[in-house]
Amino acid sequence: MPGLTFQELIFKLSQFWAEQGCVVALPYDLEVGAGTMCPETFLRVLGPEPWRVAYVQPSRRPADGRYGENPHRLLKHTQMQVILKPPPADVQDLYLKSLTSIGIDLRHHDIRFEEDNWEAPTLGAWGIGWQVVLDGLEITQFTYFQQSGGLDLEPISVELTYGLERIAAFLQGTGDVYQVCWNEKVRYGDMRRAEELELSVYDFEAASPETCRTLFELHEGEASRLLEEAADDVTSDPARFPLRKAYELCLKCSHLFNILDARGAISVTERASLMARVRRLACDVARVYVERQSGTQSPLVEAEPA
Amino acid sequence: MSPKSKSEIRKLRPERSEGSKLAWSGAGSAAEDHPTAALLIEIGCEEIPARFLTAAQTDFGSALVNALGEARLLPEGAGAEPLFETYATPRRLVALVPRVLEKQTAQVEEVLGPPVKVAIDAEGNPTKAAESFAQRNGVRVQDLARVNTAKGEYLALRKTTKGLPATQILSEFLPRVVLGMTFPKSMYWVAKAGPRFVRPIRWLLALLGEGKQARVIPFEVAGVRSSGSTYGHRTVARGPVRIKSFKEYSTKLRQLHVEIDPEKRRERVCSECKVLLEQTKWRVVPDPNLEDWIVNSTEWPKGLVGGFEQRFLQLPREILITVMRDHQKYFAVEDKAGKLRPLFLTVLNVDGDPKGLIRGGHERVLAARFSDAEFFWKADQRVPLRDRQAALEGVTYQAQLGSYAEKVRRMKNVAREICALLEPNGGFYPYQEQAVLRTVDLCKCDLTTQMVAEFPELQGIVGGLYARSQGEEIPDVPEAIYDHYKPVGLDDSNPRTVIGSIVSLADKLDSVVSGFAVGLEPTGSSDPFALRRAANGVVKVLVELSLPVPLRALVEKAVHQLNVNWNRPQMEVFSSLINFFAERLRYYLESARGFRYDTVRAVMAAGWDVPADAARRAEALEKIRDSQDFEALSVAAKRIKNILAKSASAADWQPGEVDAAALQAGEEKALYQAFEEVRETVNQHRQAGEYEKALKTIARLRQPVDRFFDKVLVMAQDAALRANRLRLLGKLDELFSGVAHFAEIAPAPQNVGASTKVKVTSEK
Repeated sequence: MPGLTFQELIFKLSQFWAEQGCVVALPYDLEVGAGTMCPETFLRVLGPEPWRVAYVQPSRRPADGRYGENPHRLLKHTQMQVILKPPPADVQDLYLKSLTSIGIDLRHHDIRFEEDNWEAPTLGAWGIGWQVVLDGLEITQFTYFQQSGGLDLEPISVELTYGLERIAAFLQGTGDVYQVCWNEKVRYGDMRRAEELELSVYDFEAASPETCRTLFELHEGEASRLLEEAADDVTSDPARFPLRKAYELCLKCSHLFNILDARGAISVTERASLMARVRRLACDVARVYVERQSGTQSPLVEAEPA
Repeated sequence: MSPKSKSEIRKLRPERSEGSKLAWSGAGSAAEDHPTAALLIEIGCEEIPARFLTAAQTDFGSALVNALGEARLLPEGAGAEPLFETYATPRRLVALVPRVLEKQTAQVEEVLGPPVKVAIDAEGNPTKAAESFAQRNGVRVQDLARVNTAKGEYLALRKTTKGLPATQILSEFLPRVVLGMTFPKSMYWVAKAGPRFVRPIRWLLALLGEGKQARVIPFEVAGVRSSGSTYGHRTVARGPVRIKSFKEYSTKLRQLHVEIDPEKRRERVCSECKVLLEQTKWRVVPDPNLEDWIVNSTEWPKGLVGGFEQRFLQLPREILITVMRDHQKYFAVEDKAGKLRPLFLTVLNVDGDPKGLIRGGHERVLAARFSDAEFFWKADQRVPLRDRQAALEGVTYQAQLGSYAEKVRRMKNVAREICALLEPNGGFYPYQEQAVLRTVDLCKCDLTTQMVAEFPELQGIVGGLYARSQGEEIPDVPEAIYDHYKPVGLDDSNPRTVIGSIVSLADKLDSVVSGFAVGLEPTGSSDPFALRRAANGVVKVLVELSLPVPLRALVEKAVHQLNVNWNRPQMEVFSSLINFFAERLRYYLESARGFRYDTVRAVMAAGWDVPADAARRAEALEKIRDSQDFEALSVAAKRIKNILAKSASAADWQPGEVDAAALQAGEEKALYQAFEEVRETVNQHRQAGEYEKALKTIARLRQPVDRFFDKVLVMAQDAALRANRLRLLGKLDELFSGVAHFAEIAPAPQNVGASTKVKVTSEK
């Protein structure tokens, strides 16, 4: 029996986590390197409010681009991101049940939790956890967040990041991601190969480093301006401060940095300093978020007492 | 002084107070009277990283036993029985203490009162001091005892505190034992304010006693309550399962596909490796680190053999093995000739793979990994190493030290210097210098390849492989690139060629020198740039290749060419570098070579600028120093040094030639003659590097020296005579100090034979 199609995999996992009380959110409408960067994770793990969310997130890593030629590497891959805040005591079992729900019979496979600690230096975020390995294939990053935006987390959140292409290829028994059935008729390659080629060409060859650098500075400048004004202006209503816009601008910087990096356009000393600049924005946003958020109620508090 | 002050309260345990003069006759002097029970604790965790598991296992056991000891819950004289056993799997830390006292031993506290001479008057009646001490403690004066202390006889109150039941004490301290453990990296899983452990704790099994006697010790850690149950394999057999004894615990867990004993798991892994390949006549490529990792990351290991396409064998062995080992945790398989076969062996954490699903999965993943490597190999070859030098400008070595291109330029200068220092001594030719410089140019280029980006642990190796396949024209260069990171530690082998060794030296010297220049020198346990390891490598290569290279000149050159922001004077950096290398050489001679510390000190005091030479002298001294003549001579040498040191301050003589005519007949003349006889021979041996012969020749002076000191008064009244004798001693000192400063050699213990003495000193 052939495994789930790519879209069925998304349905099943969404359904599974919805049943666990997760809000099934929409993919974020900006370029991100990982589902972690979406506000539904980056901001919501901060502060004391309980939170459960699951969403699919296309994630871009320009340096991983292979012009659509390599059957295992993608510039843009698809993550299923789950946040459980605070994590239940049986969080690992819950995760294993999610695998069962997509048709993986754990009695006939070898599943391992191998140490793999995760860090996103541009976000000031890191965590402790594992890569989950299924018959030698890394299918999920399982992380207990320790810090985000440079802030200690109270409570800790668990982040599950499923690599959907790999899981789909595993379920369908194929070694080539482009052969994965998206539905009964359409292959993953039909949906995405052209995009992989085009994005690879741009990120590796066509991108103008000058323009990318200028854009980086423009976005950074705009974010800094917003954040400084917010710090100076204590009289206006904090709820009106366009925090998420400042964060979007920070994410734009992060993506532009990745393109510059893939393009080989970042010099020796520049690399670390560019990363530090993005991190500073991210940490500022996190701080403002926590200040503004204090005292508000989570919609999940009643449904699920902490 | 308050009677409650700590210094006055001595806690005694009857069994532990041996040697104390206090006559104590409390209850329970025979430990055998106390009933004991087995204590079994299991900390159930989410998967503990394999690299921490072995240490965590032993740490937990010793923390538990220490706590039991402190709580007076261990019986004395437990005999041959092991004090405790520990086990571990990725999901549990287990400790079994077969004999724990059911009840704490009673504790006798002794509260010291006033001294007897103050407390009892001449008539033998208690004084005010005695009465008030008794009153403060709520007892009568006649209840006080007299005790002898170092300070004299005192009045004292003895209080016996009855022992509490073990369960009660254990409930109190077990949470502290568990959460008191430390790990190289630990985490929070509730909140920053919450518990901290290597991974979240999910269950606790805590049993005292066995069978019907078994009781759960109630306690709580991180919101987890202890129980009498354990859990089986994560996916095969979960649990919980009630446990009544250790025997039942280990058997039941086996039924639930958990082998708690790492050594049993290791046996299984090893036998699986053999059995699975039995029919092929091939074997796994041995890999102890991988074996450890597997043992520590499985609860129920089971071998599985898979295959891959023959075409991948065209990739270099190093790359195939790295992909299999580091990325997939597979053993590679080779034939008897050592050639890789298109097979791998992996160890599962489940009982088997009857449907072949797991094998299929592994084979697909490995094929994908190999295709990647194949892709990198082909893509990288499009830009040969020689065309990658410019790209090194864009690869950071260290923020303050610039790019790898700059490092290569510095390395080149150092390498040139080494070659220049080697040439005059022969055995090194200009064409070799050409190969060295070529290797330096190319050796870091592989940092710009996709292969090294993917497999950073293959830096150098990949460069060597590429240079070979790209038809590098100068012989030895590919090998030298391949080897130039060696030796990675004192246990690692040196580069195979002298070319590779010189490049390795240049690389490591530059790392150390430039690192010191910008303030990256190691401090205490922190050495982020592994400069100790680099300097160890320098010393090891210099010594083991017997390179006649003076380190001081080399370091000086390396310091001078640096173009950095000096945050302290160059001379200061230079001298701390020299001290650092001296310390590394000392460490190498003592730890890697096993020379006695005073041998090393004596040899280094005579100079160590050419480390290889210092090592040869140490070797010679180590061989000869236990001979009787030599021991006596080193005592004399110390005496000479002392005399000269004292007389130098008196300044009534100058070192110089001995006036032979002014020597008195007898012992004085005899010594001078003996000295003249051996001097030339010793110098010849020294110059030829025949240090053992030199030392043996020197040892011939033992008798004349001894006789001289017996009969001749050095510090004679006559100033001229005295000065001449001092000059003679000065000459002897000079001769002695050419190989080693004998005065540094610690005198041998009188009553211990030479052979045992070797052990005693070297172990210190």
